[in-house]
Parts: sequence; structure tokens; C-alpha cells
Amino acid sequence: MIREFNPWPTVIFICLACLALLFLAPTVGVLLSSIKTTRDIALGQLWAWPETFFLGNFAEVVNNPAVHRYMINTILVAVPATAASIALGILAGYVFAKLPFRTSELLFLAMISGMFFPPQVILIPLFRLFNSMGLIDTLWPIIIVHTALGIPICTLLMRNFFATVPNALREAAILEGASEWQVLTRVALPLSLPALAVLATLQFTWIWNDFLWPLIFTNSDEKRTIMIGIVNLRGQYTVAWGVQGALSLIASIPTLMVFLFFQRYFIKGMTMGAVKG
Amino acid sequence: MERSTGYWRVALLALPVTVFAVFIVWPLFSSFYYSFTDWNGFNPDYDFVGFTNYAKIITDKLFLNAVINTVIWMLAAILLPTALGLALALLIDSRVPGGALFKSIFYLPICLSAVVVGQIWIWIYQPDWGLLNTVIAQVTGDHPRYAWLAKPDTALGSVIVAWSWQQTGLSMVIFLAGLTSIPGDLLEVCEIEGANVWQRTRIVVIPLLTPATVVVVALSVINSLKGFDILYIMTGGGPFHSSDTLAMHMYNESFKKYLMGYGSAISVVLFLIALTVIRIYFRELRRVDEIYG
Repeated sequence: MIREFNPWPTVIFICLACLALLFLAPTVGVLLSSIKTTRDIALGQLWAWPETFFLGNFAEVVNNPAVHRYMINTILVAVPATAASIALGILAGYVFAKLPFRTSELLFLAMISGMFFPPQVILIPLFRLFNSMGLIDTLWPIIIVHTALGIPICTLLMRNFFATVPNALREAAILEGASEWQVLTRVALPLSLPALAVLATLQFTWIWNDFLWPLIFTNSDEKRTIMIGIVNLRGQYTVAWGVQGALSLIASIPTLMVFLFFQRYFIKGMTMGAVKG
Repeated sequence: MERSTGYWRVALLALPVTVFAVFIVWPLFSSFYYSFTDWNGFNPDYDFVGFTNYAKIITDKLFLNAVINTVIWMLAAILLPTALGLALALLIDSRVPGGALFKSIFYLPICLSAVVVGQIWIWIYQPDWGLLNTVIAQVTGDHPRYAWLAKPDTALGSVIVAWSWQQTGLSMVIFLAGLTSIPGDLLEVCEIEGANVWQRTRIVVIPLLTPATVVVVALSVINSLKGFDILYIMTGGGPFHSSDTLAMHMYNESFKKYLMGYGSAISVVLFLIALTVIRIYFRELRRVDEIYG
């Protein structure tokens, strides 16, 4: 069958290409700034294609001990909080999917709704609580709060995933003499690795990028996470725009890695959480 | 058997429910409690002041200002990313070459933090060498040297554009997920019946995207109520409170002026707004479920 020429794919492609350029421009700006000298930027050369690659900005950032500290602090928060929130989500999700009871649907909804509220709503009582425990200006409150705030999304996704594990599988294992714990860890969990990947990428990205909680719970430079650190360092490098660009880039490396390698999982998590919520 | 199941329910739920109750539910109710006090953030003691904080809300010009800005922010946050996200999803879904790459490009900003997005856009609005003024200079031949973020007229709008840039990708992927659920035969029937692309999109595709639209709009509203980080980074609510939102105002009153009691009252109002939105969302979602099954 001979089809007549259809101009639409070409038109659509050109439209999308223009929009994509517009969308990429801001990110490209940061990339460009990081390899240019402050002088070039001040002279209005930021948006021009670089003739030489200036690596001094990166050297400045990488050799700054404060940046190391911020990075380590952020890892110390993001890794345990990601793991803990997923672990709690697994426990609750399993009960809601496989061991429902009379009021479980209500409890489930109550826990899920937690992800819709602005965090400002619980800010002051948590500040007072951690203050009275003497935990302000440590990493603990950030880890704890991110663990708690992760429970809704982790429970939701794990419940939806566990629901797809056939009940017959669980019953067979129970008949064989397995305990509920063994069913969860040896049967349901090995089948749920994709869900774990989704949650790990989502949670890690959110916690890594978070700004509000470290802002509230820490105040000394020793305990700052990378996102607060960048803002603080801006004062130090007021007009060193290139250094600021390199700093932003280095701070985004972990989440950009997640984006590059686990994008599929990340998008799945975002849409699952949203659509099923 | 039944007893052992009950035992496991309690054993497995104990930890997640306790953590959730202690660090989310209890603070939520405490916010109501503190909103009737004059706690200052340092002193362990405080007094009950009844409805004083709520009375203050009614007369606080900055609160009214923050409400107006939140409404503007919310409307823009609904309209811009939703419309743009829908357009992008429809274009990408038309099996355009390089669709996956386009999807990634539009999605990339979601993975960046508010701090980095703020930084990027501060540079775009930079008066001397920022991209926006550079482009204007190229087009008009006259460099405006306009400080977009430092002028009350443009501060909020400028942040809204940055925010939309980041949020559009999220709306797009939800619409794309919605598009995959539209049965292919339905679109084929349209083609056989002689409907053109525009008619097909308007009459068949967009109505079938209603569930996705409900989700996108609800998420936009919810995310816009949470919108704090990027405003804090880009304008700090200024200049002259021209970009103060409720979340920003709450932070300033509580952690800058240390009026934690008053801040709690603002957060209660924020909670009630969020609750209303969430209830509408769930109701609409149920209605949509009934219609579209």
C-alpha cells in the first residue's frame, strides 16, 4: 500500500525539538558556567560555546573540605532513611495486601493521606520534640523524619505490588509450615525486587534533594547537608559563578546517576504513586 | 491459624504504625494545640492565649497577602504544567522519532533539587548576563538590565516559570501513562470513520484522559501548597513580601520571628486547605472511577 506523504510527523518533530532546546537551555547554562572563568561570565560570555574548558571551578569545589563534609552528611542521611522507610513500607504493605482485617482499608487510607499534606503542618511540633530530646543540630531528626514521611508512598507501592503476588503461593508456603515472616522474606520479597528498585530511586532522590528539614534541624556547618551547603557556600563565592555552577553539578551527580540508570523505575514510581493514590 | 494471623498483623504493623503515629499524626494534632499558645521556640514554657493567634490571622495584612499569592501560585501551577504537560504528552505519543529522548529531556528537571533549579533560574534572570535579558537584548537591540527577581511586579511570576519548568515533566509522564490506557481499536475506529487528528484528540482522547487530568491537577495543587524550597532559594518571599506564600509566611513567622504559636495557627490553616483539596481529589477520583471503570 502506498501512503501519501504525511507532513505531520515532521512538523511534530520540529515542534518537540524546539521545545526540547528551550527546556534544556537552563541545564546547559549550568554546564557551561562550570567550565568558564568568572571573568568570562561577567563579560557576558556565559551562553556562548566555550573555546577552552576551564577546570579550575571543579578543582576548587573538589578540594573544598566543606563540600566533602556536606556530601558525607547527605549520604549518612539519605542511605539509612531510604532503607528504613522502605523496610517499614514492606511491613505495612504486606499486611494491607495479604492479611487484611476489618478496619485495614481505613488505616491504609489514613497512612496514605500522609503524603499529601504540606510538611509545614508538622514542622513546629517536630522542632519542639527534637529540641527537647537534644537532637537539634544532629543528623538524627532528618533521618527519622524522612523515614516517617516515606512510609505513605512505600506502603502504597509495596501493598500494590504484594497484591499481585498470588495468594495460592502464600497458602502453599503456609501449608508447608512456613511462618508469615518466612512467606514475606522468602516468597513475597524476592518477587518484589522491581518495586524495591522503584522505591529506592524515588526515596533516595527526594531525600538527597531535600532542603526544608536540614534547614530546620541543623544550624552548624558541621551538620549541614549538601543542598544547604550549596546555599551557604554561595556567600563564600558571591561572584564566583563558575564555582557555583560546578558546585550545583557535583551536588546533583547522585540524582543525575539515578536519572540516567534508573529512569524507568523512577518514572514508574512517580506515576504509580500518583495514579493509584 | 486465625490467632496466628492476628499475631502477625500486630507484629508487622507495630513498627510502621508507631513511627507514623509518633512523627506524623501526633505532630499534626500538636499543631492545633500550639496554635492556641504563645510559644516562642526557645522557652520551654508557654501560655494559652485562646483564639488570639487566629484573631491575628484575620487582621494580618501579610497573611492576606500570602493567601493571595498562594492562590496565584496555585492557579499558575495548575494551568501551566498541566497544559504544557498535556501538549507534550500528545506530541510524544504520536510515535514521533526520538520520543524516548524527548521524554527524558522534559523529565530531567524533576530529578534536580529545588536548590539547583533555583540556582539555574537565578542566572537566567540575572540582570547583566542572564539568558533572558541577553535574548531581549539580541531581539530588541536594547539591553534592559532588568532585575526580574528583585522587582515586586515580576518576582512571583518569575519563580512560577521556574517551578513550571520543573513540574511539567511530571504532568507529562502521568498523561503519557493515561494515553497508554486508551484502547488502540478505539483510535482505529476514529480513523475508519474519517475523523482527523484534531477531531480524534478533542472528541476521544482528551475526554478519556479525564482520570489522568484529575491526578495531574490534584498533584499540582498539593505540590504548590508544599512549594517552599524554590521560593526560599530564589526570592525568600521578597521583595517586600511580593512572593510570600502561606508556607513561606509560616516559616518566616515561626523561624525568623520565633512566633511559633502564630506559625502553628498558619499551619493549621494550611492543613485545612490541604484537607479540602485532598477530599475533593478523592471524591473526583471515585467519580471518575465510576464513569470510566
